[in-house]
Amino acid sequence: MDINLDSALQTYIVEARDLLHQMEEALLVLENDPNDSDTVDSLFRGAHTIKGSAGLFGLTPIVSFTHGVEDLLDRVRDATLNIDSALIALLLACTDHICELVDVVAERSASLDAQAVQRENALRERLMTYQVSTPTSPDTWVRQSVIDDSAVRAANLDWHISLRFGEQVYRNGMDPFSFLRYLNTLGEILHIVTTTTAMPALPEMDPESCYLGFDIRFRSAQTFETINEAFDFVRDDCAVHILSPRASLSEFAALLGQLPESRDHAERLLVESGSLLPGELDSVQSQLPTQPSPSTDLELPADPVQLRGDSAPQATAREQKSRESRYVRVHADKLEELINLVGELVIAGAGAKLLASYNPESELRDATAAVAELVEKTLDCALRMRMVPIGDTFSRFQRVVRDVSKELGKDIELEISGGETELDKTVVERIGDPLMHLIRNALDHGIEAPAVRQANGKQARGRLRLNAFHDAGNIVVEIIDDGRGLDRERILEKGRERNLVPAGATPSDSDIYNLIFEPGFSTAEAVTNLSGRGVGMDVVKRNITALRGSIDLDSRSGEGTTVRIRLPLTLAIIDGFLVGVGEAFYVIPLERVQECMELTSAANDAARRCGYIDLRGEVLPLLFMHDYFSIEEAGAGSRRQNVVVVHHLSKKIGLVVDELMGEYQTVIKPLGKLFGALHGFGGSSILGNGAIALILDIPALLTRLSEDSRACVSKSTTTSESLSVSQGQRS
Amino acid sequence: MKGLADKSRVQTPPEGDGQYLTFTSGGEMYAIAILGIKEIIEYGGLTVVPMMPDFVRGVINLRGAVVPVIDLAARFGQPNASLSRRSCVVIVEGHSEAEGRQDIGLLVDAVSAVLDIAASDVEPAPNFGARINAEFISGMARMDGKFVIVLNVDRVLSVDDMAVIGTACAPAHPEPA
Repeated sequence: MDINLDSALQTYIVEARDLLHQMEEALLVLENDPNDSDTVDSLFRGAHTIKGSAGLFGLTPIVSFTHGVEDLLDRVRDATLNIDSALIALLLACTDHICELVDVVAERSASLDAQAVQRENALRERLMTYQVSTPTSPDTWVRQSVIDDSAVRAANLDWHISLRFGEQVYRNGMDPFSFLRYLNTLGEILHIVTTTTAMPALPEMDPESCYLGFDIRFRSAQTFETINEAFDFVRDDCAVHILSPRASLSEFAALLGQLPESRDHAERLLVESGSLLPGELDSVQSQLPTQPSPSTDLELPADPVQLRGDSAPQATAREQKSRESRYVRVHADKLEELINLVGELVIAGAGAKLLASYNPESELRDATAAVAELVEKTLDCALRMRMVPIGDTFSRFQRVVRDVSKELGKDIELEISGGETELDKTVVERIGDPLMHLIRNALDHGIEAPAVRQANGKQARGRLRLNAFHDAGNIVVEIIDDGRGLDRERILEKGRERNLVPAGATPSDSDIYNLIFEPGFSTAEAVTNLSGRGVGMDVVKRNITALRGSIDLDSRSGEGTTVRIRLPLTLAIIDGFLVGVGEAFYVIPLERVQECMELTSAANDAARRCGYIDLRGEVLPLLFMHDYFSIEEAGAGSRRQNVVVVHHLSKKIGLVVDELMGEYQTVIKPLGKLFGALHGFGGSSILGNGAIALILDIPALLTRLSEDSRACVSKSTTTSESLSVSQGQRS
Repeated sequence: MKGLADKSRVQTPPEGDGQYLTFTSGGEMYAIAILGIKEIIEYGGLTVVPMMPDFVRGVINLRGAVVPVIDLAARFGQPNASLSRRSCVVIVEGHSEAEGRQDIGLLVDAVSAVLDIAASDVEPAPNFGARINAEFISGMARMDGKFVIVLNVDRVLSVDDMAVIGTACAPAHPEPA
């Protein structure tokens, strides 16, 4: 039992965090549109659920604190309290605090630290101030209804509820008594009269049908909606009539007309339940001929027909429920294990297929082909399970943008698009930090202060856009601001200063902008008017590269900057291009391959001499894999060779290989710590025939090559002997 | 580092009575405690990993796991082992502080036998004079009037140490001038 409760608690923690996150979002929506009643409702529901579930686990600190928040929200919902930015700020602080309280539960630590307790008390006080300022409202409320109808009774809190359950109630899995029990949580049942007149004679009675009805006098300070909500689940099968404490006698008269019982009997029920005094009954009877009297109170519809009619929102609520129940929470480790196993299956399947292809029996080949197809589908399915929409990560930044822009005194709006784009959970988790950095940069340095913007003829409100979309098996995340843009000249100047740009060369704009990703490139004093823009950009780039992604940047002076991050959909599987060099196999990530071509033996000789070839008028440097990786020539020069043109950012290089084996989807196996210092390989993969192919890490390889050649150049000026050393000790 | 080495010598002989696998590498006979050995397989199907120090021969596919193969002779600073019909890969469990255990293959010239050696027959390692680094030696076992070096596998196959050597061997990344 303990264990069950524990896992239920874990679920509660996860759910509470989700709800808090949703509440935070709702608050941010309300900040822009304070009249959105749906959002207020969802906010209230969030607080209510957190409190309610916390009560189940006896988490008193959460219950008591959330209760105050819920009260406040309830009044917001009743429109007795207006939403303003101070209230939003308070509620945001409250959600933060509830989150903290949930964290305390999650960490099983004893209690909050002193600072947090202090914060809690301060928040409680602020919540109280709202409470004190509004006690007048219930009074006016009652007074209003006094004016409404002269025939009303004394103001009290006693409601009258008539329930007539339908025959299907039991069959639909409902228990009438559970509703009564629930009512008791909302208030107090003062008196209850059970009606059994619907009960047929014994021979006709079906024991599975429900013939019960109740008339209840109910004392509660709750609103009509809350009490009405209690019967949401049973509304289809039950006639519910709720009369408010201020219901006029004419409304009682209307009720009498609608109850299925004979009038005399119904009258007796109302009197018995104490809702009507015998004396009042007479005046009700006197009103009967002129009934039904239309209810004038629009706020509290006492018209039972209308009650039954509002099944539309209730239907959507039920839909939502069923949608939720279709989710299964699975531990991430189990999913990981499944994907690993499927990965093994892919490899084993490829092996079987290879063996079958040697076999003359076509039936065997067909069978393995069918298996292979299923395996592929299984793999797709397994990988899709890990896919989550990036929207959650994006919407988290709403808060960041709000807080940071307030702090900086800027007015910035975050626009999100493509939030439904899905990618691997591990990628989503690890993209948060780099995104945060880029967004802060854009807020801090990209978007100007409102005054500056207006002076430049732009809207005072800055715009930051987060966008995601799929592109050729990758996901592209864009961070677009409409700020001042990068200062091209300053960056170029700095690049020349640091020898990153050869003197006299005129690099393309994008080359210049990408200089800010160079380690230690921009410091405050390096690019003064962009102070700090790009600090830590090399870290961002490193993080993105570690995810096998790339980052690119585009900017227009005065119009804004676009940062484009390109990421693989998943880290477990790679779409590769398999090539053979001598005895060895290498996998080149497919997104890096631009084209392949044959290197004729004549061209080969020329290329070997100068180290580059002419690619449609472009100089394409070549890397002879045999030489670079010191692989012995298997077939010695006689075999024709091929060039695979690979690219990263704007750099291109031709890899000279022996054989092109074509596209190959494969599971990545890490090489382990022993090979940690090895740059240029991103992992390994087991081929269908059992051989291991190494996966080339093109960006790392290119970096390494350019570093090698830079070392060559710098050393050759001092002594030509060191050249051979710097090229690699293995050669 | 020095402290560590001293400690391992003080502790010798650490295993006491036990079974040892003897094998030859670079013409010399060595023994390792059998408890750390997972299996012995024929040499073959090796994929060379370029740009690694000489003692890392490459990787093999061990039933779906990618296992690095270390050339024991080269690890001891001798020339790379020449391959023959009797070349074997001894799979042992290596340790790394960061990643926990990792299987590693040891390429040896030939395996000989599994022997019982009494603790009394294992002498402490000499401080110097052996052909290999004294750190790698756990003790000297007396066998038929000869001494056989008992290897300290944890030191020989320390992934952390080997990774450091790997970094040193990779062409240095020069700072831009």
